[in-house]
Amino acid sequence: MQDQNQQAYDRGMTIFSPDGRLYQVEYAREAIKRGTASVGVRTADGVVLAADRQVRSRLIEQESIEKLHRIDDHIAVASAGHVADARQLVDFAREQAQVNRLRYDEPIGVESLAKEVTDYIQRYTQSGGVRPFGVALAIGGVDPDGTPKLFETDPSGTPYEWQATAIGGNRETLMGFLEDEYRPGRDLDSGIGLALETLAESDEDGEIDSEAVEVTVVDTETHRVRSLDADEIESHLAELELGGESDE
Amino acid sequence: MSRFTDPLTGADAVGDPTAPELRDGFDGADANAQARDEESVNKTGTTTVGIATGEGVVVATDMRASLGGRFVSNKSVQKVEQVHPTGVLTLVGSVGGAQSFIRTLRSEADLYEVRKGEPMSLHGLATLAGNFARGGPFFAINPILAGVDEAGSHVYSIDPAGGVMADDYTVTGSGMQLAYGTIEGAYDREMSMADARDLAVRAVEAASERDTGSGNGVYVAEVTDEGVDIEGFDDTDAALAER
Repeated sequence: MQDQNQQAYDRGMTIFSPDGRLYQVEYAREAIKRGTASVGVRTADGVVLAADRQVRSRLIEQESIEKLHRIDDHIAVASAGHVADARQLVDFAREQAQVNRLRYDEPIGVESLAKEVTDYIQRYTQSGGVRPFGVALAIGGVDPDGTPKLFETDPSGTPYEWQATAIGGNRETLMGFLEDEYRPGRDLDSGIGLALETLAESDEDGEIDSEAVEVTVVDTETHRVRSLDADEIESHLAELELGGESDE
Repeated sequence: MSRFTDPLTGADAVGDPTAPELRDGFDGADANAQARDEESVNKTGTTTVGIATGEGVVVATDMRASLGGRFVSNKSVQKVEQVHPTGVLTLVGSVGGAQSFIRTLRSEADLYEVRKGEPMSLHGLATLAGNFARGGPFFAINPILAGVDEAGSHVYSIDPAGGVMADDYTVTGSGMQLAYGTIEGAYDREMSMADARDLAVRAVEAASERDTGSGNGVYVAEVTDEGVDIEGFDDTDAALAER
């Protein structure tokens, strides 16, 4: 009986259960937990986004697993959850960033962009015949005035601003690590280190394969998104003793 | 049009960057609006002057509305209005188009400020104004946008096709050659606000003497980082800076 009742609020569009819950939104959050983790760290001189892109087969081209996306010159996004859903939101964000340039001839603020995206996500919790987005985004960038910012989007359409955050699988563990280790005022290099150390918490042996991680930074000096190449990531991993590939 | 639709309304979810965010009221704008504006509606004829200094900007406008420049239909028009906490727009061309343009720009600037928590930059406002002039329901207007922001003092002219040009000083309206003649050579970026005020008033006064579309007094707006101050004078001499 209980099960039948629950099913009535569980199917099709998002509607409230009698105790005020939106099951479809909660299921969407479960979908995010099934994805590999992404980490965002805000530092005094920029924002770091790092993502785990472990693959199930050595035959897949690792480069084709894209979890970090450039939105505009000064904003990037890390995703966790359904890749296909993430791609839709990423492209929506790209269009909004360009609309702001067309409209005002100014780069969009990170907060404005995050809110445009979450407003869009929210509409998928209040319409018939659609399902919520099964993805969380960490939106990092540098505002036109030079302030680094980091936001998270949730399937309910709520924006959260963070100093550092983790999305996707193992979130509780990674957040616990960040809460212990995060210090404001770190420089960008040390932020990259913290992001990689956090991702390593997901690994049983606390190690990362440099091929299996993506790192993107936006610094306050250039206001530009930059992806670290494999050599740079490897040298960071070696410095942190997180077991770069070339160790053995 | 983007490929994203709002699942609630079915409307475009990204939006047209050249359209006002508040579109209600324009949806019914009929296709003949432009034709109507080009017939014998109230036009401002007009001389409007904007001058930038290091401290702020001064805008002066005449007070005449006319029908085709041949009949004075109003002798006390305020042709400069505040549209931003530190920005003003002049009313040039079709009175209906210009008034609607001012209302829209003002509400867009307010909406931007409450949404983003800081006032729009003048460059952003000028870009928006250019977009509206080019793609929106506003016709036959040629205003000056002038104001102050973190980047300093700015004067922009906005033409009916959406052209936006920044300058140290600019004049629009039927009396422009006369007003330019007054300002040319007398302008100095380092001049005081009082000197800029006198120059702007004298320029409008010169145009009022010989342009049939301009006259009947002067409105003066002074904009600094403190805000906007607008006052009208039937007698142009009374509009000069107090010394």
